[in-house]
Amino acid sequence: MVGGPLGLSLAPFITKNRTLYRWVKPVANWYADLSGYRKMGYKYDDLLVEERDDVQRALTRLTPREHYDRQFRLKRASHCSVLHDILPKDQWIKAEEDVRYLKPHVESVEKEDLERKAWENMVIERK
Amino acid sequence: MLAARASAARSASRIARNFATVVDTAGVKVAAVDNGEPTSAVTFLVKAGSRFESKPGVAHALKGFAFRSTSKRSFLGTIREAELYGGVLSSSLTREHLALTAEFLRGDEAFFVDLLSSFVASAKYTRHELHEFVAPVCEAESAAAFANPATRALDLAHLLAFRAGLGSSPFASSGTHISEVDVKAYADSVFSAGNIAVLGTGIGPELLQKLVDQSLGSGLSSSTAPTSSASAYFGGESRIDAHGTPETLFLGFGTVGAPTAELAVLAAHLDPTPSVKWSQGLSPIAAGIPVGTSVKTVLLPYSDAALFGVLIQGATAEGVKAAGKAAVTALKAAGEVKGEELQKAIKKAKFTAASATEGRDGLTSALAAKVFGVSTNSLDTTLSSLEKVDASAFSKATSSLLKSKPTYVAVGDIKALPYADELGL
Repeated sequence: MVGGPLGLSLAPFITKNRTLYRWVKPVANWYADLSGYRKMGYKYDDLLVEERDDVQRALTRLTPREHYDRQFRLKRASHCSVLHDILPKDQWIKAEEDVRYLKPHVESVEKEDLERKAWENMVIERK
Repeated sequence: MLAARASAARSASRIARNFATVVDTAGVKVAAVDNGEPTSAVTFLVKAGSRFESKPGVAHALKGFAFRSTSKRSFLGTIREAELYGGVLSSSLTREHLALTAEFLRGDEAFFVDLLSSFVASAKYTRHELHEFVAPVCEAESAAAFANPATRALDLAHLLAFRAGLGSSPFASSGTHISEVDVKAYADSVFSAGNIAVLGTGIGPELLQKLVDQSLGSGLSSSTAPTSSASAYFGGESRIDAHGTPETLFLGFGTVGAPTAELAVLAAHLDPTPSVKWSQGLSPIAAGIPVGTSVKTVLLPYSDAALFGVLIQGATAEGVKAAGKAAVTALKAAGEVKGEELQKAIKKAKFTAASATEGRDGLTSALAAKVFGVSTNSLDTTLSSLEKVDASAFSKATSSLLKSKPTYVAVGDIKALPYADELGL
């Protein structure tokens, strides 16, 4: 995937600029709500592309509790898919519950891989 | 760079044998001796052995975390950089101390001292490292260690002899559950000011002090280090079933307080290891050992106790029993030794003590004892105290040792191996 396991993102650029951030943030919140994954009981990180070695390794780093909860959400959502329906409103994921629980692990795995690559391809110079 | 190193080595070799002085730098005690070795070694010695551990196995896990990722560099970075410099990193754990050692060429001191101090000051102890690397390695280390019946017997002997404190094993037993939070809490308590000594060999004391000061700065916490209650000797008997390994017996006694010269002489007197190859040796045990059975004396000194004993290993339980009887007879008769016999034992003990300080390990352990204030003895005082052992003091020490309850461990075919009372203990 272009831009590593998390894909391309403009977020780092936008969050740096305070005015831009203030304008874009409400739109982003509205868009995240509109896309509807929270109504299926998903958190954003449940939708990360997981068919990759690095994300698979990041998944092993979740605590047992996080792992269990993730499996539960995936199962509940596939059940929704079977029923062609969304969850009852009280079971929707709220915006404040939608935390990036997997992102830090994916980032650390990506950093390790990049570092390994750098060490493997280094050129030694005699001083 | 190479030329600079060569000249440094040459000028260092001109320096006569130095003696280390202990200096407090950045909250740690620094001692170094430069005898002109071509390579240098720096050891961070921490009072974090298994006797201080808050939870069984946590000291072993902390040892496993050595050189893992810190806030300064990742695990991979540490290894690759050390390889580029041609250095060797190692960690070892005893019942009293955790030692983190780097050995390297002269001239690379700054990097390796920084590497060691960054682990002590800012290791991360991440959960995934514990599960991906540390726990499996600890498990394998313990399995390998306990596959050896001698290690197993000595480990159990410590437990019987000293119970809590010195009794706790430096090897985590399999199935021990340790979390990264436990390791971090233990590390925070042991990596504190006053609990660490930095020992250098082949590096000048001023240089080492300067580097430690630079890299450690004020990075150490001032939390109170864990303490272990003073050792007491209990003794007892235990047997473990084992198959496919040599039949093993350990019979011994413990003493409380600093290890005495008499004990070293007794160990030398009984030790049946011959000085000449293919001979039997002159020890009183030597004549009674059947073929295929080996007997070794074991003297393990600690800061406030010592475990002394005889380790017997053989292919058959009968052979081990015969050797055990010979050892007990010799142990009981040791009190009457005098004259030539005693002088011979003293000479042997003196040689053992002197040759132990030869290598880098011996030098480091001598420095360690000095730094932690266990003994301020130099080699000369150790030798002269051995010299002062006379027949009456020796027989008194031996009889008081024999009066205490023996520590007896049998590993192997427990139905055939003898009990302590069958050997006359």
